[in-house]
Amino acid sequence: MRRIAIAFGALLIPVLCFGADQDSAGANSKLSAMLAAKDANGKPIISEEEQAYFAGLNDNLRGQLSDLVQKEVITRPEHLAILLGLGLRPQKMEVLLQNRCVLCHTDSESQSAENLFSVATGQPPTHMNIKEVIEDVHFRRGVSCAGCHGGDPTADFGHDFVKEWPEKDRQKNRAWVVQFCARCHSDPKTMHEFNPSLPTDQLAKFKDSPHGRTLLEQHDDRAPSCVSCHGVHGIRPAKDPQSKVYAQRVPETCGACHADPKTMEGFTRADGSPLPTTQLAEYRDSVHGRALLVRGDLGAPACNTCHGNHAASPPGVAQVSRSCSLCHSANASLFDGSKHKHAFDQHNWPECGQCHSNHAIAKTHDSMLGTGPGQLCGDCHREYAKDNPECMKTAEYFHDTITQLDQARTRFIAVSEKFAARGLDVEPINNQLTELGDALKKSRTYVHSFSRNSFQQVAAPGKEAVKRADELVNKATEEFKFRQIGLALSIGLIGLLMAAIYFKLRQMEK
Amino acid sequence: MESSFQKKKPEVNGAEESQGARGWLDRRYQLTPLFEFLRHKEVPIGSHWMGWYYLGGITMFFFVVQVITGVLLLMYYQPGEATAYESIRFLTTKVPFGWLIRSIHSWSAHLMIISLTLHMFSTMMLKAYRPPREMTWVSGYFLFVLTLGFGFSGYLLPWNKLAYFATTVGTNIVKSVPLIGNWMLQVLRGGQDVTINTLYRFFAAHVVILPLAFVGVIALHLLLIQRQGMAPPVGAKIAPRGMKFFPSFAMRDALLWLACLMALAALAVFLPYGPGIPGMDWELGDKADPLAPAYPGIKPEWYFLWEYQLLKEFPPHLFGLEGPQVCLLLIALLFGIWAIIPWLDRRAYRDQPSPAFSDFGWAAILFLTYLTLMGWDIGARGITDELAAMRNVARVCALWTLAVGTVVIVVRYWRFEHRWFILTGAALLQAALHGLAGISYLLSGLIAVVVAAIAIGISYTTRSRAESSHAT
Repeated sequence: MRRIAIAFGALLIPVLCFGADQDSAGANSKLSAMLAAKDANGKPIISEEEQAYFAGLNDNLRGQLSDLVQKEVITRPEHLAILLGLGLRPQKMEVLLQNRCVLCHTDSESQSAENLFSVATGQPPTHMNIKEVIEDVHFRRGVSCAGCHGGDPTADFGHDFVKEWPEKDRQKNRAWVVQFCARCHSDPKTMHEFNPSLPTDQLAKFKDSPHGRTLLEQHDDRAPSCVSCHGVHGIRPAKDPQSKVYAQRVPETCGACHADPKTMEGFTRADGSPLPTTQLAEYRDSVHGRALLVRGDLGAPACNTCHGNHAASPPGVAQVSRSCSLCHSANASLFDGSKHKHAFDQHNWPECGQCHSNHAIAKTHDSMLGTGPGQLCGDCHREYAKDNPECMKTAEYFHDTITQLDQARTRFIAVSEKFAARGLDVEPINNQLTELGDALKKSRTYVHSFSRNSFQQVAAPGKEAVKRADELVNKATEEFKFRQIGLALSIGLIGLLMAAIYFKLRQMEK
Repeated sequence: MESSFQKKKPEVNGAEESQGARGWLDRRYQLTPLFEFLRHKEVPIGSHWMGWYYLGGITMFFFVVQVITGVLLLMYYQPGEATAYESIRFLTTKVPFGWLIRSIHSWSAHLMIISLTLHMFSTMMLKAYRPPREMTWVSGYFLFVLTLGFGFSGYLLPWNKLAYFATTVGTNIVKSVPLIGNWMLQVLRGGQDVTINTLYRFFAAHVVILPLAFVGVIALHLLLIQRQGMAPPVGAKIAPRGMKFFPSFAMRDALLWLACLMALAALAVFLPYGPGIPGMDWELGDKADPLAPAYPGIKPEWYFLWEYQLLKEFPPHLFGLEGPQVCLLLIALLFGIWAIIPWLDRRAYRDQPSPAFSDFGWAAILFLTYLTLMGWDIGARGITDELAAMRNVARVCALWTLAVGTVVIVVRYWRFEHRWFILTGAALLQAALHGLAGISYLLSGLIAVVVAAIAIGISYTTRSRAESSHAT
């Protein structure tokens, strides 16, 4: 009897399992039907790629999709196709499937065109693009739609806009946006939960900036709010190359307003002159712009490096050199200890900017040191320093020394390449070239000391390197001559031997 | 008392009268028959240019130079990840005359391949492979293959960037061999990738395995030549005039060798890193870095360029096989045909002129010329669009090949009175279809082969009819 009971029990287990399977198969069958659905032309609505994506999902995600179909959140195969077609990584898919807002607003049947998330790529990105939303740093860290729009993202239906949003004219006056973002971003406690390293002083800085004053005090809508630079949906961290505030995209973001004469109309500098709109074009052509935008050197400055981010403002005359010295510290400290510092302060000149300009900083050239007409040192000294002969001599000395070192370097590079092609050992010459190059670089920097003695100390190793390189070049030339003489002798000897064989052969064959 | 051993006189064989060193040697080693053989040995002259006979000797001279300079290089070269590149750098910059030895070794390697190729084609054109010299051809064929092996293995030894990536690309080709490709790749590289293990085995191959094999085969090759003599012209009923091998021919050989030595020295001094042609350049450059991205525009040595280009012309898949596999099969087939030419050329076998095989030789030269020129990207300069550059390369190379082919045909027609140009025509037709008409290389080749087959069929039928009517 006991055996019969055990056997019956054993039989019951698979039967129950089969029954359970039947239940889940019922749920799956709805999803399966949706996956296999065809349109009026008999073509599958879910494409092969989307099917393959579904097949590659883990059990958990497939279960969630099944539940959503079962609960009729996803009611149409077209809607399912949109979600599968996103091709999201499993983690992102999970975040998406738990967000009812996104699920509803991706179904074209239940949403108006302006409330529907688009999935198209290649179009200019709008704030209603689901792919942008999925990449949003807030969305990824759990602050999804409801974080700003209110409501319960896990509830089936319902909208409840947050109280901080103005009841009306939200689009006209954007000042509320700043306060709204600051709700979290100015609260250290809140921010600590999401990103402890992010500062919380953005609002304070912004309020004190020309942008902030224009927006918050003068209520001029042309001034930017947070979303003007960071975007709306699809806000990415500043280190993300697709972020609007990524170093290489900052000039374009700032230029969207500052290079537009219409937007900038009426804005003036402190002296009352109209604010120019040529900065972006000048910057693009400048040595900094080419370094950042063409060469991709992320160490090169963008607008915010000198002007600041949330507290963006034009640096005053006194601050220009401080901005420059952030990178060009050696030049700046040499300048600070020079005679020119005092003279420039007397004239109220913006130190570095006086000789090198600001947005349109061009690559420096040794001819700037010349004293002739049209050359920087000469022109300035003639106008402001009464043509002081001692200064002129110093400038000429700088110019001549640097030019000689540079010419020597160019000559040795050419000689080194020529000798290398001849198979001569050019390593010692190249070592001297490295020393010469270092000395030349230092000499150009020490011009900013405007002191002959300081300059001489750094230029002297360069002159020594030129002497040694000259000796090495002579030695290599001798070596090549030796090779040529050796070759001539060898050819002579071989020729003699050949002549001997030839005449012997002729004699024998006569 | 003298022992019986001391009393015993050396055995002599009719040479007791000879005096001096020769007599001393002769009494001990009975060299008279050998001296007699060499004294009577003659080189046939009179029917074609004598220059062809010297190419083998010149090739051997370059091989001897390779051995001597190779041994000198070996005194400083240290295979190893941290030493291979550094030792070559030290050798060429610090060791007295080290630069000269390396430069001569490299120049001699390339010149050896050039003279060997010329030697092989001259032998082919003059039908010197016909009986009884089939095995001389086969041994020469193996010497050619071994020489290519020398070139390939030696290229990696400086362990510089260019050599590293060229070897990576070159060894990768064997992966396409059906069934055993992966295994062969592992054996060749000593692992999945080109590493220092590859250098060790290439070094072993270059300085031990290949030289031993080469010396063995060259000994056989020379023995056969000495035994059978140089081939007289085809159909020579009467014995051609002869030139004494010793001393007349040997002294001429020595003259040429000295001229080659002179040329080697001059080239080594004035062009120490080669003539600057891609695939013929041995400047050391930077050290190999397996982690660095692949070198742009990697090309093999010039003598492998035709295979490299042929591989590029194949699509990824063909006849259900991978494209490179089909290409390798084709290359193997061509090499196979080349090896057994003495048995394929039935007319030469009967000591009759075989114009079809002369034409086959010229067609092979034009086929290799077209591919090699394309491998050099001649005509690509200044064109940024890749597709437009490829089309222009094919066009310019086809024009060059057609020009060379036309000259060849004209000279053969007027100077040598050749009348059989079907295969040469097919090679030119392929170049024209591919380069000028823009048809794919393989389809052009297929059309050319079909046209050639039809032409050969018609020529054969016409000749048979003419012969039968003549007999009637």
